Amino acid sequence: MNAELGFGLILVGLLCSVAGAFAGFAAGRTGSEEGWRWTRRLALGFSVAMLLANGVMEYALLTHDFSLKYVAQVGSLASPTYITIVSLWSSLEGSILFWGAVLAIYVIGALVANGTRNTDSMPYAVASWMVVAAFFCFLMAGPANPFWPGPDPVPSDGPGPNALLQNHYLMIVHPPTLYLGYVGMTIPFGLAVAALMRGTLGPGQLALLRTSLLVPWGFLTVGIVLGGWWAYEVLGWGGYWAWDPVENASLLPWLTATAALHAAMLPGRRGTMKGWTTTLVLATFLLTLLGTFMTRSGVFNSVHAFSQSDIGPTFLVFIAICLVWSIVLLALRVDRIEGEGRVTAAIGRESSFLLNNLLFVALTFTVLLGTVFPLLAEAIKGVKVSVGEPYFNRMAVPMGVAILFLMGVGPALPWGQPSAERVRTALIPPVVAAVVTVGVGTLFGVRTPWPVASLFGAGFAGWVTLAALLDIARSGTASRQLRRIGGYVIHGGIIVMIVAIAMSSAFRADEEIRLKTGETVEFAGYSLHYDGPDKVVEPHRQSLVARVSATKDGETVELRPALVSYPSMQQPIGSPDVHSTLTHDLYLSLMQQDPATSTAGIHAFHNPLVIWLWIGCGIAALGTLLTLTPAPRASPAVAPATETAAPAAT
Amino acid sequence: MNTKVLVAGGLITVPLVVVLAIGFQHDPRQIDSPLVGKPAPGFALTPVDGGATVALTELRGKPVVINFWATWCVPCKQEHPALVQVARLFEDEVSFVGVVYQDEPAKIERWLGQYGSAYPTVVDEGSRAAIAYGVYGVPETFVVDAAGTIVHKYTGPVDPNDLVARLDQMVAR
Repeated sequence: MNAELGFGLILVGLLCSVAGAFAGFAAGRTGSEEGWRWTRRLALGFSVAMLLANGVMEYALLTHDFSLKYVAQVGSLASPTYITIVSLWSSLEGSILFWGAVLAIYVIGALVANGTRNTDSMPYAVASWMVVAAFFCFLMAGPANPFWPGPDPVPSDGPGPNALLQNHYLMIVHPPTLYLGYVGMTIPFGLAVAALMRGTLGPGQLALLRTSLLVPWGFLTVGIVLGGWWAYEVLGWGGYWAWDPVENASLLPWLTATAALHAAMLPGRRGTMKGWTTTLVLATFLLTLLGTFMTRSGVFNSVHAFSQSDIGPTFLVFIAICLVWSIVLLALRVDRIEGEGRVTAAIGRESSFLLNNLLFVALTFTVLLGTVFPLLAEAIKGVKVSVGEPYFNRMAVPMGVAILFLMGVGPALPWGQPSAERVRTALIPPVVAAVVTVGVGTLFGVRTPWPVASLFGAGFAGWVTLAALLDIARSGTASRQLRRIGGYVIHGGIIVMIVAIAMSSAFRADEEIRLKTGETVEFAGYSLHYDGPDKVVEPHRQSLVARVSATKDGETVELRPALVSYPSMQQPIGSPDVHSTLTHDLYLSLMQQDPATSTAGIHAFHNPLVIWLWIGCGIAALGTLLTLTPAPRASPAVAPATETAAPAAT
Repeated sequence: MNTKVLVAGGLITVPLVVVLAIGFQHDPRQIDSPLVGKPAPGFALTPVDGGATVALTELRGKPVVINFWATWCVPCKQEHPALVQVARLFEDEVSFVGVVYQDEPAKIERWLGQYGSAYPTVVDEGSRAAIAYGVYGVPETFVVDAAGTIVHKYTGPVDPNDLVARLDQMVAR
């Protein structure tokens, strides 16, 4: 019953999206009111069908309907209810179904947010969303059908979802957050396509484009960091980022989306960079497709590529179609939407925006090249190579530091063509702040070049950000400038994160320790005492725990790193335990436990400042919320009023 | 038409798509064993049902198929019936040995009772054989020729057709 109902809803979704795509393009061409009304109805039809189909799958999961292949694959009577609920996105078919639900929510949200405006361009945008929707419905109706009937006879129980996904509560929030980031990029993509189809990108469209980029950008930011946090808390190698292909895949669209968000601020003020902004938006969407492809096709070997499947070729064809469509559309129309204004070459805020965009794009290419290089080497020379961390660190660290520095330079400089005198007075206080920060850092032992450079950048950008926030606060118009405040708060969060990344990777200490019950060892200022083993049995898993008391300055905490076995997994997985403080984390990972000799092998890490990575991300998320507050009337983002007048003449 | 955009777009994206398309033809998980072409590491292990030790040296003169597996491994259940079939097919020409890795004898006997057996199954105490063969995860299966050289390794469940074709060739030689 669930199978027929769910599959029927997918067919309804497919039908609505295909018809909606045709109706939208037709309505865009003819400008027909009736056509536009039908386009909206069909888009809503798709959305409702997707949400209901997800409801059916959740119902099947919760009632353990093992007659569905998907439920038989990921369900288990022993799994706790919350695990059963999130099993929806624990495997390929379910995650594509969930993709449909997320797109449905975005489509409804975008239609509501747009209301009755932009009637000339919106049909094209909705049509583009429906093309993407149709592709995913096609996947669900064919190669990745989540409602495929299961084995006969119907099994009485299933293995439960992938053990790595069950091991930590972050796994409940990380995938949907990332999905909200990925899928949401479909909306700005549609708006960019519409702008190119119409040959215009007006203020109303720009405002919608900005909002539609910001929402998924915020989710993507949080999703990436949650992924790092999950890796840190679950995988047990003491780090949060490994330049794994799938991690890179989530970083790539983030880089281009960040560039696009900054680029989009220029057309609103200057009428320039519209073609470039659209290009970045298109690239962002294409990179989210590439990211999904990397995770789901089995081309890359990665901890995340847990589902090898047959959808790879279909997906690659869709990516190719989208690429051709985007490039041809850009080539045909980019000259038409580009405004008359020119970016001045002077040292002003524009130039720092340009440099920022250049760096983000260079970083995108660097990461992309490093990610596909192993495939390239294999295709050409037939050897398996791994580019690995050294390449990425060597390339990305300087660019990251430069971006950090620009985060200070840009906002410090005024728009237009400031005099050399003004530039000097604007830059002196942050330089002093930067030097002081470096000085403080040296006192704490930061003396190697890149960490020092990042402290300099952080001090510089941090000063500018704080000064800008104080200026706004003093002006007494804070309540009317929430969006600007939001932008600076995001910068503040990112600065905190970059410092945390720089310090935790440069000053990490680790040691492999073997301890017998009752023994004590000194590590990074802690005395670690092994209290002995423990065993925890739960219905869906068994844990071998090492009880370790860590004492520092007379305070003792108990850590319980463990090895967890799931019936569906061959190897037990590590479950590290972390004692977090504001200055450092003590991180213990159990490597092995030998009951015969009552010894435990523990990998201990001392990671400075890691907690600030999560705090910085929270600050950035808060800032994103502020930037999404409704614009006050005559806000510069929507209507470039008085401020543009003078420099536009240059 | 802005040809610059067209050319730049093509130059960036076409190679990317081509590389990804080629990427399909390779399995990223296939790790070639450095042992292929080298002499098979020797072992002498006790069968699960007691009895005399099975030593690799005693099996020389015939091709040997060494299958590393465990009762807790799901793909092993999947490949086991096929292995039993192939072992029966080559009953006189090829020796088969199952090496059980990180497991308990009681569970192994129950498992074999349930899924059948056609060749000796030995217990790898302390995972010494698995370490010598560089076993990365189970199942892994090594094909050793009559001279004691490893000629092939299967990572993951054995493809029975491929195994039969390979053994046919070795036996004919």
